[in-house]
Amino acid sequence: MSVAVRIPTVFRKFTSGEAHVQVDPGTIGELIGQLDNRYPGFKGQVLTEDGSLHRFINVYVNDEDIRYIERLDTKATEGDTVSLLPSVAGG
Amino acid sequence: MSDRVKISRDLADEMVAHCLEGRPNEACGMLAAKAGETVKVFRMANASGSPVRYSLEPSEQLAVYNALDEQGWDLGGVFHSHTHTEAYPSPTDVRLASEDVPYVIVSLATEPPEIRAFRIIKAEWGAEDGEIQEVPVSILG
Repeated sequence: MSVAVRIPTVFRKFTSGEAHVQVDPGTIGELIGQLDNRYPGFKGQVLTEDGSLHRFINVYVNDEDIRYIERLDTKATEGDTVSLLPSVAGG
Repeated sequence: MSDRVKISRDLADEMVAHCLEGRPNEACGMLAAKAGETVKVFRMANASGSPVRYSLEPSEQLAVYNALDEQGWDLGGVFHSHTHTEAYPSPTDVRLASEDVPYVIVSLATEPPEIRAFRIIKAEWGAEDGEIQEVPVSILG
């Protein structure tokens, strides 16, 4: 496993509190699948029922927002860091 | 998650200064913590540029998370100002709450500004409703 995934605080209940986990390289969609296999229910937090990324989640591969690359088909390769960032907002 | 926000007077003043400087708009940022005590105030831009709404720019949020990892810090809280209302979560604050950390609210409606913190507990992270629990704020020094 060689891609680091940064887990936001609100999802750490799925990862037993782990803030960083390691997965195999692949597309972001595949990485989410790996996380769901390891932590059942994880995918449902990040993806909508139609399989698209939840609108309140931003995903970066290193410093690049996947929305501007290939979205869930964006690839993460060995040594990359994938960050799951919940939108932070209020009023 | 810590059951208390501990912050030095200097860092609390820095947070308040950022909120005052943001007027007439809401100001926002994040707090870094180590061993349960705030160690840094990240002054961040309000991407919404609004007197009644705040949002973080994801790229700036990522830079803060990178800094937290590099320094071995925890995310201690998210802070924002209420320019004219009390230091208590608004319905918008509850609806959009996403991180499982204290939400620190600085009210500029009073002099001196009031600082309070809250956990917003949701059954599902994207739920529109949640339970508000106040978290004590200890200003040290």
